[in-house]
Amino acid sequence: MNTQLALEFSQPEILEQLLALNAGELDTLDFGVIGMAADTVVCDYNALESKMAGLSKERVIGHPLFTSVAPCMNNFMVAQRFEDTAAADQALDLTLDYVLTLRMRPVKVKLRLLASPRADRRFVLVNRKP
Amino acid sequence: MCPEPESDLAQEYEALTQFVYLAPAGLVQARSDGEIVMINPVAAQLMMPLSHDGDLSNLFTALEDIAPDLRSRLAAFTAPQGMVCDGVHLLAPGGAKGGRRLFSFSLIKLDGSLVMAMLQDVTAQAQRERLLRHQEIWLTAILTGVADYALIDLDTRGCVTEWNESIGRVTGHGPEVVGRSLAVFYPEDAITPERVLDRLHEAEHSGWSLDDGWRLRADGKRFWGSAMIAPQRALADDHQLAAALSGADETGYCLIVRDMSGHHDAAEEARHAAICDHLTGISNRRAFFDAAETELRRWRRLPRPLSLILIDADHFKKINDTHGHPVGDAVLRHIARLMGATFRQVDVVARIGGEEFAVLLPSADLVSAQRVAERLRAALESQPAQTDAGPVACTVSIGIATMDDATSSVEALLKRADEALYAAKHGGRNRVCGPVLVLAEPG
Repeated sequence: MNTQLALEFSQPEILEQLLALNAGELDTLDFGVIGMAADTVVCDYNALESKMAGLSKERVIGHPLFTSVAPCMNNFMVAQRFEDTAAADQALDLTLDYVLTLRMRPVKVKLRLLASPRADRRFVLVNRKP
Repeated sequence: MCPEPESDLAQEYEALTQFVYLAPAGLVQARSDGEIVMINPVAAQLMMPLSHDGDLSNLFTALEDIAPDLRSRLAAFTAPQGMVCDGVHLLAPGGAKGGRRLFSFSLIKLDGSLVMAMLQDVTAQAQRERLLRHQEIWLTAILTGVADYALIDLDTRGCVTEWNESIGRVTGHGPEVVGRSLAVFYPEDAITPERVLDRLHEAEHSGWSLDDGWRLRADGKRFWGSAMIAPQRALADDHQLAAALSGADETGYCLIVRDMSGHHDAAEEARHAAICDHLTGISNRRAFFDAAETELRRWRRLPRPLSLILIDADHFKKINDTHGHPVGDAVLRHIARLMGATFRQVDVVARIGGEEFAVLLPSADLVSAQRVAERLRAALESQPAQTDAGPVACTVSIGIATMDDATSSVEALLKRADEALYAAKHGGRNRVCGPVLVLAEPG
C-alpha cells in the first residue's frame, strides 16, 4: 500500500493531496470525504461517508450537496462559508465541531471545510473520532 | 433462496433514509425523558443554534431556552397517547446571521416511553401573514368612513391614462378626462403644475403621498376628500413583468381619490387644532414654517417661482389702546378673513406674530405676488372691520421677497421679505414693497 494514502483527517495542506486521489483511493481513508464542484454538485463520496450516512454513492453523486443530500449543512456554518470564501476568491481550510444526523442519530463530529480558488473541487471531511 | 428480496429491502431502507433526510420539516423521536432517539437533518439544523455547545442528545434540554415547560407539559398530559401540543409558536433568538426566528412546534405522545416532535421554521410564513394583515388594515383604514372612492391610473407625468366607472361616480368626469393632469380633480387655485410634479416625486421617493382637502367634481361642485398617490412599481412585484405586460417602458402612478363627505368635520377639527391659529383660524406660525421648509426642499430639487409675502397691520397698537383688545382681535380676524378670500388655496396663509401675517405663494413670481398683495392692501383700505365698537379701519404694510439662487433658507427669504416690509413701513405705510434691490456699482 502506498504510504501516501495514509492521510490523516487533521494533517496540514490536505487539499492538494485529496485532489490527487481517485475514488478507490478515497475509499481507503478512515474519515468521510465529500467532494463537490463549484455548483455544489457532489462528485466524490467515499466508502466511509456512504456507510455512516446510510446512502450509496449512486444516490448522492451528481446531486447538489446542500439541497438534495445534506440539508443539515445548508446554513451559515457550512454552505455559507463556502460561498463567502468563493466570492472573496480566498482559500478555505476550517475545522469545526458539528452534529450530523447520520441515519437519524445525532452524532458529534468534526467537519473540515476545504476550498481554494485554484482547485475545481471543494471538500467536506467528516471525522467521527473524538 | 432468492437474494432479491433482501437487496430490495436494503434499497427501500436507503430510500426511506433519504426520504427522512430530505423531509422539509424537523422530525425528532425521543424518550419521555427527552433523550433523542432519532433526529432528521432539518430538526438538527433548527435546534443546533439553540442548544448550548450544539449538544443534541436531549430534546427538552436543547429547547429549554425557547420552551422551558416542555417537560412539565408532557408530565401533565395524562392520556396514554395523543397530541401534547399542536403547532405552538416558539420565538427563537437570532443566530449569528439574521434576526429572530419563529418556529412551529408539535409534540405527540406515542406511548409511555416515546414521543415524537415536529419543528418547522415558519418565520417567512408569519411575515407573509403579517404583511397581509397589514395590508388589510391599510385597506380598511383607507375605506373606513369613505363615502366612495375612485381608483385612477396616472402616467409618469400625472395624467389620467384610463377612465373607469369609479372615476365617473366620484368625480363626475367622463372618458374625456383621459390625458388630463390630476390637477383636474382639484379646485382651480388648490394646486399648481409644479405641485403635481412635487407630489409624484414625493410618492416615488417615500412610496406614497397623501393630502386631504377640497376636491372638484366635473360639475364644479366641491367635496371634501383625500388624494393618495403611489408609484405603480410598489404594487407590482416585478417591474419588468409589469412593463412587459403593459407594453410601456415606464410605469406610472395610482391615484386614489376618496370622497370623505360627512367625515370632514371631525377630521378637520383635529387637524385645525394642531396647525391653526386659535384667534384667526388661518395657519399658525409652526404650520407656516413646516410648509415653508417643505416648499424650499421642493425648490432646491427643482427651482421654480416661489414668493413670500409679509403683512403687518398699521398702527395696530393704537387700535388696541383706543378700542381695547377685543376690538383688536376682531380687526385681526378681519385681516385673516380677507387674506383667505384673496389668496389661492395652494398658498399658505398664516399668522406668525401678534399683528404679523405671512403668505407663502408656490409657483408665484414677484409680479404676480405683487399683484395679489396690492389687491389685499386695497381691499383692507376700502373695507373696515365690523367690530362691537363699530367699523374700524385698518390698513396694512406689505413686504415681498421671491426665491432666487442667492437665497438658501427659509430664514434668509423671510429676512428679505422683512427688509421690504421695513421699507413699506418707512415709506409711509399702507403700501406694498418688493425686494430691496442692491444694484452693483457701475464700472
